[in-house]
Amino acid sequence: MASSLLRTLIPFDIYGGMKLTGKYFGKVLLQSNRGTKRTHIVVEYPETPVTLMPRYRGRLQMIKDEQGEIKCVCCLACEKICPTQVITIEKGKKEGRKTPYPTRYDFEMERCIFCEFCVESCGFDSIILNHQFELAAYNREDFSHGTEGVFQNMYDLTPVGHYSVASEE
Amino acid sequence: MMPTLTQYLVISLLQIVVVLGFVMTLVPLLTFAERKVIAYVQVRLGATRVAGGLWGAQQGRLHQSRTVTGGLNGLMWFLGRVPVFSILRGLPMFIADALKLLTKEDIVPASADKAVFVLSPALALVAAFTVFAAISFAPGALFVFPKAVPFLGGLPFNGFLTDLNVGLLFILGIASVGVYGIVLGAWASNSKYPLLGGLRSAAQIVSYEVPLTLSLLVPVVLTGSLNFNEMSTRMATDVPANGMVAIGRTLIMFVGFFVYTTCGFAETNRTPFDLAEAETELVAGFHTEYTGMKFSFFFLAEYSSMITVSALASAFFLGGHHLLPFGIQGFVHLSGWWGGPHIIFFLFKIFTLLFVFLWVRATLPRYRYDQLMNVGWKFLIPYTLIMFVIAALLRYAA
Repeated sequence: MASSLLRTLIPFDIYGGMKLTGKYFGKVLLQSNRGTKRTHIVVEYPETPVTLMPRYRGRLQMIKDEQGEIKCVCCLACEKICPTQVITIEKGKKEGRKTPYPTRYDFEMERCIFCEFCVESCGFDSIILNHQFELAAYNREDFSHGTEGVFQNMYDLTPVGHYSVASEE
Repeated sequence: MMPTLTQYLVISLLQIVVVLGFVMTLVPLLTFAERKVIAYVQVRLGATRVAGGLWGAQQGRLHQSRTVTGGLNGLMWFLGRVPVFSILRGLPMFIADALKLLTKEDIVPASADKAVFVLSPALALVAAFTVFAAISFAPGALFVFPKAVPFLGGLPFNGFLTDLNVGLLFILGIASVGVYGIVLGAWASNSKYPLLGGLRSAAQIVSYEVPLTLSLLVPVVLTGSLNFNEMSTRMATDVPANGMVAIGRTLIMFVGFFVYTTCGFAETNRTPFDLAEAETELVAGFHTEYTGMKFSFFFLAEYSSMITVSALASAFFLGGHHLLPFGIQGFVHLSGWWGGPHIIFFLFKIFTLLFVFLWVRATLPRYRYDQLMNVGWKFLIPYTLIMFVIAALLRYAA
C-alpha cells in the first residue's frame, strides 16, 4: 500500500524510461560516426557500404579453383533441383581436363527465387549465392547470366552494381 | 534619461521584432530538433541531407552535386565524421519545411464555416505570441544604445517588452485564449474528427488549467507579487531568515517544478497528453481539415506555447535569470559574472526544458482519456492544493 502510493507520488517508472532513452540519445550523440563507429542502426547505403549477414542469398556465382578453372563438373544436380528451372547446363569437354566442363551454364535471374537449393545440392562446392544485392536492370537480357557469349557476366558485377558508390570509406 | 514617446515606441517596436524573430526562428529549429532528438533516441539518424533544390530534384550523388543543396549536403556529409556535430546534419531541412508549408495549397472545406475557419488559426497564433509581451528575458537593460546611434543613443534596450505588475495574470489569461482557437477551428471544420479532437483538447486544457494555475500560485504566495521580473528574481535569490523555511522553500520549488511541467505538457497538448491529436483515433485531431499556412499557424502556436511553458518554468522554479535553480542562488554566493542575472542563463534553461519536451515525447506513450482526467482531477489538483497550503505556511513562518 505504502509502496504503491509512493510509486504514484514519485514517478520512478517515468524516470527509468527517461534514463533509458537518454542513454541511447547520449550514445548516438557522443559516439556515432558515419564511417568507423556506428552506434545507430541506420546504414547510409548509397554512400557507405552495407554489411550483410553471412547467409545472405544474393546472385548465383560459379567458383573457380586455384588454377582459375571452373569447379563445376556438370552433374546437373542444380539444374534438376531448381524449382523455377532457371539453370541450363550444356556438358562438354576441355583439353587437359579429366572431368566434364560446362560449355554453357546459363542462369536466368528474372525467374530465380533465391532459394539456394542449387547450392545445397551441389556436391562439389562449385556454386554459391554471393552477397550482391544490387540486382536491378533496365533490360530483360541483363538478367541472363552465363559463362560464354554476349552475357558472360557470371563473375562480373551486375549492371546496377557498376554504378554502386559504396566504396568510399 | 527618459525616452520621449516616439523613442519609446521605436524601441518597443525593435523589441517586438527581436522577440518575435527569436520565437519564429526557434519554432522551425525546434521542429528540426524534434526530428533529430527522437531519431537519436530511437538509435536512428533522422534527417541527414536536403534532397533537391528550389527548382526540382537533384541528379546523381547527393553530396557531390554542384548545386547549393549539393554543397550543403557535402558539408553535412563531412559533419557525419564528427560524432557530436553530426546532429547538425540536415539542419537546412528546417528552411525546407517552412518553404513547404508556405507553398502548399490552402484548402477550405466546402461545408466549413469560412469566417471562423480562417479566424481560428489566427486566434491561436495571436494568443500564443501575445504571451511573450509579459515574459522577461533579462531583468533590466539588455544593452544600452551607444551614443553613435542616431535618435536612440544612450537609451537602454530592455530584455522585456513590458514590465506589467500583473504579468503572471496576463500570461495565464492570454494563454487560455488559445484554446478558443483550437475549439473554434475544430468546430468550423464541420467534420467529426476535428470536432472530437477539439472537444478533447478543450476538456483537457480546461481541467489542466486548474493545477497549472495552482502550481504557479506557489511562487506568487512565496514572493507576494505578480510581476514577472520581481517574482523570478525573488524566487531565485530570496533567503528567509529561518533555515528550515529556506530548506522547505527549496524543496517546494523542486516539487513544484515537476508538477508545473507536467501541467505544462498537458496545457500545450504535448505527448504524453496529446490526446487532441491521437493519430490512431482522430486522424490529426483539431487540425485535420487545415492545410498550408493555416495549419502552420496552429503548429507555430503549439510550439511557441511550448517555449512559453519552458520560460515560465525556468523563471519561477529554475532560478530564472540567475544561474542556480530552486532558490539555491540565495545560499551560494557566486562571484562576478556568474553571480548576476544574465539572459544566457535564462535562454540555456529554456533550451534545456525544450529538450526535455522532446525527450519526453520520445519516451512516454500517450495516456488514455480517463487516465488523463484521473491524473488531472484526482492527483494533480490535490497535490497542488497541498503545495499551496505548504507555501502559505512557509510564507507565514518567514
